[in-house]
Amino acid sequence: MATEIKPGRKRLTLGSVGADLLLVFWFVFSLFPIAWMVLLALKTDTEQTTTYFAFSPTFDNFGTVMSQRGTDLTSVDFAGALVSSVLNCGGAVLVSLLIGIPAAYAAGRWKYRGSEDLMFQMLSFRFAPELMVVVPLFVIYNQTGLFDTTYGMIWVLQLVTMPLVVWILRSYFQDLSAELEQAALLDGYTRRRAFVMVALPLVRPGIAAAALLAFIFAWNNYVFPLILTDSNATTVTVAVTKFLGGGGQAYYNLTAAAALIGALPPLLLALTIQRYLVRGLSFGAVKA
Amino acid sequence: MATLEITGVTTRYGKVVGVEDLDLSVGDGEFFVVLGPSGAGKTTTLKSVAGLVDIDAGRVAIAGRDLTGVEPYHRNVAMAFESYALYPQKTVFENLASPLRSGRTGSYSKADQERRIELVTTTLGINHLLQRFPRELSNGQRQRVALGRVLVRPADVYLLDEPLSHLDAKLRAAMRAELKQLGEESNTTALYVTHDYQEALDLGERIAVLRHGRLVQVGTPEQIWREPADTFVAKALGQPEINLLDAVVDDGSLVGAGAGGAVAVPVPAGLDLAAGERVRLGIRPRDIDRAGPDDRPAPGHLAVRGRVHLAERLGRLVELAVHVGDTELIMVASSDHAAEEGDLVDLHVDLADVHVFAAGAPGEDTPRLGGGVPRQRRPAEEPATGRAR
Repeated sequence: MATEIKPGRKRLTLGSVGADLLLVFWFVFSLFPIAWMVLLALKTDTEQTTTYFAFSPTFDNFGTVMSQRGTDLTSVDFAGALVSSVLNCGGAVLVSLLIGIPAAYAAGRWKYRGSEDLMFQMLSFRFAPELMVVVPLFVIYNQTGLFDTTYGMIWVLQLVTMPLVVWILRSYFQDLSAELEQAALLDGYTRRRAFVMVALPLVRPGIAAAALLAFIFAWNNYVFPLILTDSNATTVTVAVTKFLGGGGQAYYNLTAAAALIGALPPLLLALTIQRYLVRGLSFGAVKA
Repeated sequence: MATLEITGVTTRYGKVVGVEDLDLSVGDGEFFVVLGPSGAGKTTTLKSVAGLVDIDAGRVAIAGRDLTGVEPYHRNVAMAFESYALYPQKTVFENLASPLRSGRTGSYSKADQERRIELVTTTLGINHLLQRFPRELSNGQRQRVALGRVLVRPADVYLLDEPLSHLDAKLRAAMRAELKQLGEESNTTALYVTHDYQEALDLGERIAVLRHGRLVQVGTPEQIWREPADTFVAKALGQPEINLLDAVVDDGSLVGAGAGGAVAVPVPAGLDLAAGERVRLGIRPRDIDRAGPDDRPAPGHLAVRGRVHLAERLGRLVELAVHVGDTELIMVASSDHAAEEGDLVDLHVDLADVHVFAAGAPGEDTPRLGGGVPRQRRPAEEPATGRAR
C-alpha cells in the first residue's frame, strides 16, 4: 500500500465517553451469566448456593462431572454423553455436507419448475417447533428401532443442519460466476470435474462457516435428544440437566461445570476453522 | 481447423430472446467477426456454439458434425470470456496449463506444456507473470491470460468474446496487430465478438452485424463499409457517425430537405424512385472533402457550401459541424487546413460515397435502397469462403 491511513486519536467528548461507558455496561451485563457460571463451577457443594465472590476455588467439580466420583448421581454418564454428542453432531454435519453441498450447488446453478418452492420447503423445516414433530417421531423411532441410537440422532438432526448448510452454501455458489465452470468445461473437463476442480475450492470458506453453524445448532439441540434418546445416545444438553436433581439434591456447581465442559467442543471447532472463516472474508474482497 | 455452420439458431433466456433465427457460415480458417452493440446477442452466439447455453431451435455444426446434444467438453472449441473467467485459486501458469492437462485437447508432456505456455505468454507479453494469481494482475493482464488460455491449445474453433476490450488504447492496437498475425498463422477458424467497429474492420475477413439478436448483414469489411444494408449498420461503423439527411426525389435528383436545395444528388442508376418520394441520404464524415473556394468539383462530385458551426480538435484531425441551410453535416478534416468556427467552407463529396436509404422517422433504422448486399440466408447461397491453404 502506497498510502497508509493512520487512525486519528479519538476525540474525548461527552458523547464518546458516554457511548463507551454504555458499551462497557452492556459488556458486563451480557457476560455476567457466563462469569457467574464460571464462579459457580469453582465452588464447593457447601458454597454452591452462596452469592459472594470471595471463596476458595476448587477444580474438583470438573473431575466429578467427568467421573461421577463421590456423588449419588451414578446414572449420569457425562463423559459418555460428551462422546455421543460429538458422534451425533459430527455425523449430522458430515451427512449434511455430503448431501447438502451438491444440493446447494444444484439449487444455486439451475432454475427449474418449483426449485424455489423446494428451497422454501427446506427452510420451512426450521419454522415448525420441534415439539410439534417430536411426538410422532418418538412413536416412529420406537417402532423402527431408531430410538436411542446414534443413527437415529444423526438422522433427526438433519432437520436442524441440512437447511442451514443448503441455504448458506447456495448463496456462496450463486455468488460464484458460472463462467468459471464454463471455462473448465471448454478446457475439456466434465461437469463433475469442473465442480470439484473449480467451484468446490472457491466455496471452502462457505463450507467452513456452514459446517460450524450447523455443528453449533446441532450441539445445542435439546428437544430431540431429550425425547428420542435414553442412555446410549444421550447428549450433553440432556446430561447437564441431570445434575439439577432427580436424585434428591440439586448440584448447581456440578451443572455449571458440566455446562462449561459442554461448551468446549464448539469453541474448539470454531478456533480450528477460524483460519478458513477469516480467509473467506478477505477472499470476497479481492475476488477476481 | 474446421468450418462452422450456424443454421436457424434461436436461443432464449426465459422470454428474453438472445439470438433469433441466426444463420452464419464460417469457412475453414476464417477469421469471422461478429459486431453489434451490447445486448445484440453476440455473447449468446458464442455460447450457443460452445454449448454453454441450450439452443431452442436450429443447429450448430463444426466440420460438418452436428453438435446438437454434444457436451461442451466434446466440442473441441476454446473460448475467451469477456469476464476472463480465470480460476482465482490457480496461478497464471496453472490457468494456462488447465486446458492442456484435461486430456481432451491432446496429451502433452510437462515439457510440451511449458513450451506451449512459454510461446503464447511471450507473444502476449505476460511471460513474467506466470507465478502470479489472477487477483494480482491488472485487468489488461487478466484479459491477456484469458486470451492465452485459448491460444495455448489447438481447437477446431476459437471463440473470442471482446478479448481486447479492457486493454488500454496503445496495447489494444499492438494486440490487434498481434491477433491479426496469429489468425493468419494459426489458420484456426475464429469467431470474434466485438462492439468496436475498427477492430471488426481491421481483423475480420468477414463481418456479421447483429442487432436485437438478429442478423442484419454479413459481408467483407469492404462490403459492410461500402454498402451498409441499412442505416443501423451505417451508423455502427465510423466515428463520428454517418450523416443522415432527409431528402425528396425531385426531377431526377434527390434533394436534401432543409438545405435550401444545396444538397442535390442525381438519382443513382438502378434506383426506381418516383418524383416526390422521400428517402434518406447517408454521407460519412470522412467522405466529405474540404475544397478551396476556387476548386471546381471533379465530375461526379457533389459541391456544397456551408458555415462551420463547431470545430472540435481530435489531435491530428478536426471534427467540423457545418451548417448547410438548416441541416448540419459532420465532417472530419485534417488540422493542417483547419477552419475556424464561423468560416464559410466548400465541401466536395464523391457521389459514389453517397448512400441512399428508405425514409423513416428519426431514430428508426431503414434499409438501403438498391445495390445492397443481400442478407445471408442459407449457407448454400454464400460464395465460397475460406482461404486457400
